Amino acid sequence: MSAEIDIRNLTKRYGGLTVLDDISLSIAAGEFVVFLGPSGCGKSTLLRMIAGLEDVDAGEIHLGGDRIDGLAPGKRGVAMVFQSYALYPHMSVRQNMAFGLENVGISKDEIERRCMDAAKVLEIDHLLDRKPQMLSGGQRQRVAIGRAIVKEPKAFLFDEPLSNLDAALRGRTRLELAQLHQRLGATMVFVTHDQIEAMTLADRIVIMHDKKIEQIGAPMEVYQRPATRFVAEFVGSPAMSILPAASVSAGTKGASIEVDGVGTIDSAIPLPEGFNADGASVGIRAEDTRPSDTGLPLTVQVVERLGDRTLLYGRLPNGSDLVAQDLGRTTVQAGDEVRIAVDPSAVHLFDGTGRAFHAPEEA
Amino acid sequence: MSAAAPISRDQGRILFWLAVVLSVLMLAPMAWVLLLSFTENEALSRGTEAAFGGHFTLKNYSDIAGNSGVFRWFLNSLIVAVGQTSGVLIMSSLAGYAFARLEWPGRKVIFVIVLFGLAVPEQAVIIPRHQIFTTLNLHNTYIGLMLPGMSLPFGVFLMTQFFRAIPSEIDEAALLDNASRFRIFWKVLLPLTLPAQATLGIFTFLMAWNDYWWPLISGTDKEMYTLTIGIASSQVNFAQTEGLGFLAAQAVFAAIPVLIVYIIFQRHVVTAVSGGAVK
Ligand SMILES: Nc1ncnc2c1ncn2[C@@H]1O[C@H](COP(=O)(O)OP(=O)(O)OP(=O)(O)O)[C@@H](O)[C@H]1O
Ligand SMILES: [Mg+2]
Repeated sequence: MSAEIDIRNLTKRYGGLTVLDDISLSIAAGEFVVFLGPSGCGKSTLLRMIAGLEDVDAGEIHLGGDRIDGLAPGKRGVAMVFQSYALYPHMSVRQNMAFGLENVGISKDEIERRCMDAAKVLEIDHLLDRKPQMLSGGQRQRVAIGRAIVKEPKAFLFDEPLSNLDAALRGRTRLELAQLHQRLGATMVFVTHDQIEAMTLADRIVIMHDKKIEQIGAPMEVYQRPATRFVAEFVGSPAMSILPAASVSAGTKGASIEVDGVGTIDSAIPLPEGFNADGASVGIRAEDTRPSDTGLPLTVQVVERLGDRTLLYGRLPNGSDLVAQDLGRTTVQAGDEVRIAVDPSAVHLFDGTGRAFHAPEEA
Repeated sequence: MSAAAPISRDQGRILFWLAVVLSVLMLAPMAWVLLLSFTENEALSRGTEAAFGGHFTLKNYSDIAGNSGVFRWFLNSLIVAVGQTSGVLIMSSLAGYAFARLEWPGRKVIFVIVLFGLAVPEQAVIIPRHQIFTTLNLHNTYIGLMLPGMSLPFGVFLMTQFFRAIPSEIDEAALLDNASRFRIFWKVLLPLTLPAQATLGIFTFLMAWNDYWWPLISGTDKEMYTLTIGIASSQVNFAQTEGLGFLAAQAVFAAIPVLIVYIIFQRHVVTAVSGGAVK
């Protein structure tokens, strides 16, 4: 029942403004793919093009082997859950779920069976006769998901479905969505700008930026081996610290990166042939650092205690900001001068175009 | 307004008495008409103070049954008011949907032209309209009486705003649910505009029911009088025939449907006047 989605050279323009430029992407049947990116990068637009709510200016969309970009939304075999849920306010929960089935001429008994099944799974079977106004936000959200499930679609499309829930409910619903995906084995495409949702739900994350796909990869791949400086900075919290590299030379184990006024950072990155250090930079995640006797001199400005660990927000002599990590029971205080050592195998190097270089993966 | 400071006790008392005085001023003429309608005509012809003097009768009401064209006029008013209201609701809904939801060339310009209609007083168009209706032989017909009131720019404006206020994601959800455009309009959007329909319907009905000028011009046959015209016509010759009490009884009779409509839809009238949406 679930089907693969194949997007080929898709372009979208609003008037003269291009919002998606030559996007290609393959989503396997049963895969959970998350579109992640900053606000306005075109995530919703891409999803809505798959749904048929936006016209395609160039390119093709295939679902389960059939080309669908010319079909009406209702004929594509996809179901969508909106951020605002978009329930029909004057219809009961049951009618909300049944409406789409009535429109394709499914028998009454079958409709009732599917509604009951979905309601049971989502634990909303006691709410079937209520109107949306009489439901809580979380319950509405379930109805919206239920309305998608009963259609037994080839693919589910979600546009930030959790962003109107409070933090606790969001966490719970996230877990339930993951379970639902396992249980249905359905193809799911999920748009969010919440990294945690992306990391926890996705089989693969599609990172979008500036009309393009920056990187497609499994969550940890995107996190540990970002393809570009944009991805490196966008994924992870706290954000990766970026320092300007003055020069890069071959060191003993890998590239040795010189940061003006700070010192040398050793990495395990094999120095690329003919690397151009113009505009190059080096990226360091807080978790790959620790205080030591030698290393980068950091003036600590803010100490953020997270319990199990402590984040040190500070400034280097060259004026760059750096976030470092220390033990939970550290005695470091704001205003202290500390030295920070960096794990060479976890250093990221970026050239002037933003392309990223990493140490080889450990066997 | 909603952010106004809370009203103090003294202010509250003053407002209360102000409301009482205004209510009395508003209601007194109606009470007077009611009183007259239950008073004998002969007594009234000697002086209207007879209304207070024990000349009670129901004859004025029983006279309505046989004595005049009032039933015919009542029927005319009902046909015109119901017809005009239906017309306004249907056209305003369709136009509102088209302006709010469909993309078509000239949409913005035509909407502005419709809005111009809000600013054009009936007086300015009545002569050409009379000419046109003469040419088309529409005077002294129900269609002729209803037609001008059916083009209600305010109705189009109201429904357009109302359709615009419905999130387009509702339409999109319905599109994904494989509903046709008409089904979306009929089954999904129209039910959501019911509060606006009620408001618009009441106003149109009251306007049509109370309209005087156009029926006076267009419905000149006695058979085609609406209630307002009919009652006014009997007022002209009341001295020789029906009498003041009878006239008052007719007025009360004429007000009954309006009263019923008001009582049934009171909630919507109040929200309509205060400009809020019905919850
Ligand atoms: N109807 C429209 N007309 C013109 N431009 C539009 C329209 N819809 C979207 N855009 C533009 O297209 C770009 C992508 O919008 P889109 O809604 O896909 O972003 P998004 O990634 O979903 O952002 P968010 O995270 O804020 O939801 C934005 O720059 C937006 O301004
Ligand atoms: Mg969006």
